[in-house]
Amino acid sequence: MTTQTAEAAVAPAIDIRFGQVGLIQVLVWTTDPGAILDELTGRVATAPKFFQRTAVSLDIGPLGREPSVEEMHGVLGAVRRAGMCPVGLSSGAATAQALSQPLDLPLLPPFREFHPPAEAVGRAARHVEPVAAEPEPAGAVAQVNAHPVRSGQRLYARGRDLVVTAMVGAGAEVIADGCVHVYGALRGRAVAGARGDAAARVFCQEFHAELVSIAGVFRVFETLPPELAGKPVQAWLDGDALRFERLGA
Amino acid sequence: MTEIIVVTSGKGGVGKTTTSASMACGLARRGKRVAVIDFDIGLRNLDLIMGCERRVVYDFVNVINGDCTLKQALIKDKRLETLHVLAASQTRDKDALTEEGVRRVLDELTAEQFDYIICDSPAGIEKGAHLAMYFADRAVVVVNPEVSSVRDSDRILGLLASKTHRSANGNGGVKEHLLLTRYNPRRVANGEMMSVGDVKEILGLDVIGVVPESPDVLAASNAGVPVILNEDSDAAAAYGDAVARLLGEELPLRFLEEPKRGFFARMFGG
Repeated sequence: MTTQTAEAAVAPAIDIRFGQVGLIQVLVWTTDPGAILDELTGRVATAPKFFQRTAVSLDIGPLGREPSVEEMHGVLGAVRRAGMCPVGLSSGAATAQALSQPLDLPLLPPFREFHPPAEAVGRAARHVEPVAAEPEPAGAVAQVNAHPVRSGQRLYARGRDLVVTAMVGAGAEVIADGCVHVYGALRGRAVAGARGDAAARVFCQEFHAELVSIAGVFRVFETLPPELAGKPVQAWLDGDALRFERLGA
Repeated sequence: MTEIIVVTSGKGGVGKTTTSASMACGLARRGKRVAVIDFDIGLRNLDLIMGCERRVVYDFVNVINGDCTLKQALIKDKRLETLHVLAASQTRDKDALTEEGVRRVLDELTAEQFDYIICDSPAGIEKGAHLAMYFADRAVVVVNPEVSSVRDSDRILGLLASKTHRSANGNGGVKEHLLLTRYNPRRVANGEMMSVGDVKEILGLDVIGVVPESPDVLAASNAGVPVILNEDSDAAAAYGDAVARLLGEELPLRFLEEPKRGFFARMFGG
């Protein structure tokens, strides 16, 4: 009896672990809930499963000003109605701290420094706090996986490249903070630069991807462009645009 | 040396139980001692396909709960002396299965020196399917030549590679085989169905057998005689080949082409 109580006392009620998950960023350009909802329902319709109850962080950097709490309630309502779940707030500006409490949303560090379009460069002098990146092992060699990545499986190479020397099935996810290389068919999702490295690229030998994302900029392939389908392809980020090109063409 | 083979698919209705029954018969016909276990607790079907539904007294759950001995629950097949069936319980649900209980039954069958234990998995990826595959040495993944079945099989293959006793203990993993069922060469030729090549390419696995779509399969199920025992059926021949390949024989795949119809058959239909 005593040993049982002792064991019960030892068993913790919870465990706290440090982990990382990918988080979708919603860049907020306007606080007009109608406009946001229109835009989101359009985007969500192209990939309904992908956004359903997806955790997102709202980046209010693009607004270029401090929105009021009421305005932000409108924005949050619109985002929720589109099916997403806002879980955090990010902004380059230190003043966003004031919004965090009334909105009951934690303040997250900005994911990738927001580059305002050319006409807005005038106010680009805003101070961006550097993301406190954890030190990575210097020159970490790529994580290599030789087995097929099957539907429902997810591989994440933290702080390095991911090399898969087999196929990536539909519904599988291959994620790396660096580049993703697939020496085989890529039928699932590939996410490179998962922590915001815009120089990361995706390479594959046979392109059938469902989704490709680099540093948070993604493209969903409902139909594959015929010039890419089944071909060796690389993807990279050119400013804010995701580019695809046939390799060795 | 006992080998545990799981017959699984993810998707329902693709022919797992038909395949389990025919593979078990095929192995027993070659003199192997075989036990075939129905893991689909609550929806027991294997006993029907094997034609022993009226002889089920005790079932898998009874053995796990210690209500009876394994010997009492094993039903001896009337056609093949070395074949035994362990039926699922119709009145329980899948929570009646425990990892510990399943391990005990499999250990006991191993001690009884069975050559093969065939685990007929339920559809889905929940507890029943998980436990059916957990202790397997080999897996026969049954797939129909259509996209949703192929996708589900891919999912199952992922689980076989990560959520099994062998994968957890680094014993080289579960050996995986693909078995295509309901293959209709005419529909493949018309582009209505995926070809063996398509399925092989998407799943990246070798094919252990291709069973042609055949009315004999349904007839066999209803009669309670595993289709492999029907001497005149193409499906039986295909299952026979699959069993031979499972035992290491190398045979070319058959029934990938539409049978050539004679002049009269073409003229008058047939």
